[in-house]
Amino acid sequence: MIERDIRILFSDTFLIGIMFANFCIDLFVTAATFGNLIGASYFLRIAPGSNLITAMVAAFQSGRDIWREKYIKDLASYLLTLPISRRVFAFSRITGGVARSVVATFPGTLVISYLYGILFSPRLIEAFVIVAVFSLGIVGLSIAVSAFASTIEVFATVRSAVQLYLSFLSTIFYDVSLFPAIVQPIVQTNPMTWAMEAFRALQSQGSTLYPISVLIGPSLAFALLGALCYLWYTRL
Amino acid sequence: MARRDIATLFRTPWIIISRALAFIIQLFVFAYLISGLVVKFPGFFPYYAVGSVVSVVASISFIIGYDIFEEAEEGLLDYLLTLPIPRREFIIGRALGGAIRAMIYTIPMFALVAVLENFSNPLSLIAAVLDLFLLAFGVTGLSITVAVSVRSANRFDVVLALLELAVSRASTALYPLAFMPSYVAAIAPFSPVTFAADSTRAALYGLSLDLTGLVGLLAFVAIFLGLGATFYFRRLEGGVYA
Repeated sequence: MIERDIRILFSDTFLIGIMFANFCIDLFVTAATFGNLIGASYFLRIAPGSNLITAMVAAFQSGRDIWREKYIKDLASYLLTLPISRRVFAFSRITGGVARSVVATFPGTLVISYLYGILFSPRLIEAFVIVAVFSLGIVGLSIAVSAFASTIEVFATVRSAVQLYLSFLSTIFYDVSLFPAIVQPIVQTNPMTWAMEAFRALQSQGSTLYPISVLIGPSLAFALLGALCYLWYTRL
Repeated sequence: MARRDIATLFRTPWIIISRALAFIIQLFVFAYLISGLVVKFPGFFPYYAVGSVVSVVASISFIIGYDIFEEAEEGLLDYLLTLPIPRREFIIGRALGGAIRAMIYTIPMFALVAVLENFSNPLSLIAAVLDLFLLAFGVTGLSITVAVSVRSANRFDVVLALLELAVSRASTALYPLAFMPSYVAAIAPFSPVTFAADSTRAALYGLSLDLTGLVGLLAFVAIFLGLGATFYFRRLEGGVYA
């Protein structure tokens, strides 16, 4: 199943190219312009956000594919006849989604690692671990949404809402202290906040252990939610 | 056809809710917080507020492409083609419906920004609405062109999202030209969203007409409405795009 999901991603290399183009627009247009408006260090501060947003888009593609398998391609019943237990099936879909997300963001992660001066250091592995752990949660969320969304509009709406939450109610663009006190807990529990903090720790040559261990919490919770929803969904 | 497209958007309140939510968060969270950090460009919030309305118009106008793509995929297009409407009216109706519904949807956001920024001159407001309508009409044509040219659903989804991102970001809608990196500043003046944003700001702040922006917008409408109509027509009647 994991191999199949990765093959689906590679069956359309154009799609990976477009995702990289998306990342480039975010980094070299938006982040660069804000760097000019606010200061050069600001560009480096928000740069990983471009890659994590691409990871988020790639992760949501997994949920969208599952939704399409059921409602458009009518493939779900065939897949469920395969000799795999439901639990392994759910686990494979999530793992496949994470692998796809890491592959789709591979060039972006390298670009950010280059900007942070860790491209040729063992810390490059940490950068990929951050992307993978972050993607785990988003893949879980997207699969949970795909299990309950009866129309593509509902799926797209929830996806937009999640993307808004992850992008604007996190520390991608501004420090948590700038938010009103009432919103700060929402920002501090946002997985994007901790993925950003982990990347920033890489930039400052600090330890990523703490932000990654905090990030694992919501990521595992969302992955579990995705797996449970998928198991419910496979009961048809 | 136009009436049907307008009704379609309002039958899917999810889209309206998500885009409205995006606009509110973008304006009252992102623009508000980031304008506190932008010290090199005083008045970033009002600049961003007008630009975000222009971006929303472009974004909503792209939705017609999703509708057309889905209709073809779900087989609804075959039914629509049996209706007693000439093909040309059918295509113009789609474009017009897409543009009008984008305007209906954006007007409350435009009103919110007008109240926030104290825009009260009726002529300026009318000129700004006209600019926004021209942008909506042109983007609808662009969206139809992409919808009938791309075959894969995944590709279509990502291509349209990328186009939406590119025309909005590489424009002066959200960021001033002087602060863009040189490679973006070189192309941004030719973006249709730039034409609309500059023209709308000239009408609202300068109480004047930005002729370059207006001519650019009219050219954009003519080109992409023509292309969209040609591609759509060919797809409906067979040929290279069928």
